[in-house]
Amino acid sequence: MARYYVAGIDAGSTYTKAALMDDENNLIGTAITMTGVRINQAADKVFEMVLSKTGVSRSDVKFVVGTGYGRFKITFGDTQVTEISCHAKGAHYLFPKTRTVLDMGGQDTKAIRVNEKGEVIDFVMNDKCAAGTGRFIEGAAKALGLELSQVGPISLTSKNPTKISSTCAVFAESEVLEQLAWGHSIEDILYGVHLSIANRTIGLLRRVGIVPEITFTGGVSLNDGMAKALEDLLKMKVNRSPLTMYCGAIGAALFANERLMIKQKVV
Amino acid sequence: MTTSSQAAGSKLDYKEFDQARRYQARLVREYYANMYNAIKNGAKVAYAYVMGNPIELLMVFDIVPVYPEVTSLQISYKGGAPELISAAEEFGYSTDCCGYVKMGIGALLKGGDTVIGKIPKPDILFLGYSGCQVYIHWWEQLKYLFKTPVVTVDVPYYRDFNGHVYNHDILYVTKQLEDVVIPKLEEISGKRFDEERLKEIVYYSREAWRYWREALQMGKLVPSPIDAYFEAIYYMSVITLIRGTPEAVEFYKFLVDELRRRYEAGVGPTEREDFRIVFEGVPNYPFFKRFWGLFKRWNARAVASTYPKVAGLVDVGAFRLNPDKPIESLAEYMIHAYCNWNMIYRLRLLERYVEEYKADGVVIHSIKSCRSFSMGHGDLREYFVKERDIPALLIDSDHVDPRYYAEAQLRNRIDAFFEELSIRKGVEV
Repeated sequence: MARYYVAGIDAGSTYTKAALMDDENNLIGTAITMTGVRINQAADKVFEMVLSKTGVSRSDVKFVVGTGYGRFKITFGDTQVTEISCHAKGAHYLFPKTRTVLDMGGQDTKAIRVNEKGEVIDFVMNDKCAAGTGRFIEGAAKALGLELSQVGPISLTSKNPTKISSTCAVFAESEVLEQLAWGHSIEDILYGVHLSIANRTIGLLRRVGIVPEITFTGGVSLNDGMAKALEDLLKMKVNRSPLTMYCGAIGAALFANERLMIKQKVV
Repeated sequence: MTTSSQAAGSKLDYKEFDQARRYQARLVREYYANMYNAIKNGAKVAYAYVMGNPIELLMVFDIVPVYPEVTSLQISYKGGAPELISAAEEFGYSTDCCGYVKMGIGALLKGGDTVIGKIPKPDILFLGYSGCQVYIHWWEQLKYLFKTPVVTVDVPYYRDFNGHVYNHDILYVTKQLEDVVIPKLEEISGKRFDEERLKEIVYYSREAWRYWREALQMGKLVPSPIDAYFEAIYYMSVITLIRGTPEAVEFYKFLVDELRRRYEAGVGPTEREDFRIVFEGVPNYPFFKRFWGLFKRWNARAVASTYPKVAGLVDVGAFRLNPDKPIESLAEYMIHAYCNWNMIYRLRLLERYVEEYKADGVVIHSIKSCRSFSMGHGDLREYFVKERDIPALLIDSDHVDPRYYAEAQLRNRIDAFFEELSIRKGVEV
């Protein structure tokens, strides 16, 4: 029986995720909700969700670390850590041989190099521009009248992927409509979209150096089309699991345990 | 991480140790007052660039220098950039064009009215800097708009990889100053060239450079009493605007003394010194203090940087002014503008800073609208990380255009960088 619990809350640009852990770093549960405009409410909601799922009471959670863009808005958090450090730690937790982390979220793509302990050695991110991030896939899905969850599976049926040169998230819809006008099939356009983003992402990964194993995290890691495009181009296996989208929150929970230990030592 | 003297120091009132910043603000106000006064009394106005200008020569003829880069950054610091940038963009400039240029053109298109006061029109445009192609066109634009004459000195690129300036390059610039610039300045000002006066001005410049160098090198102390980027940007205004005067020499003596007092009292620009960084790149002026705050909250001090030396890389002895050979030494000075240096030499300089100033990492701030300063920044970052195992961070915004400042993104990268450094250095956060 755990003596206490800790939590990590990852308030991302699109979704807010929570991870609950016991005092021995065992993952007890996760939850997810849309971030929306009231970040603290979303954080509170997702925290309640994970508590009710696991039956843990709020008073047994001794430390909460906030991460993600909204981390400073999580009023019940004890401290904040960037999602770069959290994804690194979370990816290493799920796949201990991880040396390179690729985190693709709604607005950000991050390439992170980690050491054998899951600590950040180097990182680069897309700058000032959401081209080649999850937002482009969202735009493409919208233009094609599809749910985000349909995009990956449909793209896998492509036989002759369309060449997409622009991955500007703002112009995603017009880019897709243009390709439809040229007579390309939906599945070819979609896999083309994934290849194009994967290409751009690999450029980012090269900047930190591609050292296996690579772990793919963030919301886009759930997308089978994206994972296949990355593996096709990298010619290597990319780690992912249903939990990789929670890596930020998992890493935050791991930091929560670390920080709590330091705090207890000091006291 | 905290030494006892620092802990004691943090309780002291920093204001007491931050007088030089107020002193420089007063000197800047006086510079503008003197400028307006001189113009009222009929003095000619020369526009000049900060990098590599032989302002000492213009002073001999009582020509008043105005630095549109400096007025642009000061206007931007006070929040006045958007309306000037808009004026230039409505006039036809692209959003991608240099913000300094657009603000300079915009200010004159609006009759010189800005938040820092009236910017005078130029009587002469002095072009003695070839580090930036866009700047050449800036003066061309003003020549086109106002028929202002341009005095040009062709300055060779610093193309040697061994830190050597060829004698024939110095001679080439010297001859242009003697044969083209001096006669032109005599014609415009109606005054004869006075070599003795030039020697005296060069003497005061040299002395100001000497103490400025001493102040900059105090970043080597541990903990550093100076933030050699954010604070140095304030201090650099004196060497830029009023070197060649006894007032500038007095200011830098005062600064060195203040920094010594800080070190002895154990105070510095941040509460403690947890991180020592080398800073490369032009700052963000519209959000200057907030930008600085992103580093301060990590108790990070810049111990060395390149930008505050755009007026001259004096700290590494790149040039030496010599009152006995005033024109030749000014020629050598002109060749050593930072953006006139080749990429390899710029890289070696940063590397040297990391070693000599015992820095924990390098922060590179690239700016959207200046390619001559920001070129190669991605490669610099990779070199430090991959070849030297020195942590390096690349962030970007703009020097004057507030539209390119995305604080959430900057903060995220900066925080992650210091989290990484904390692990390396064993700093508890």
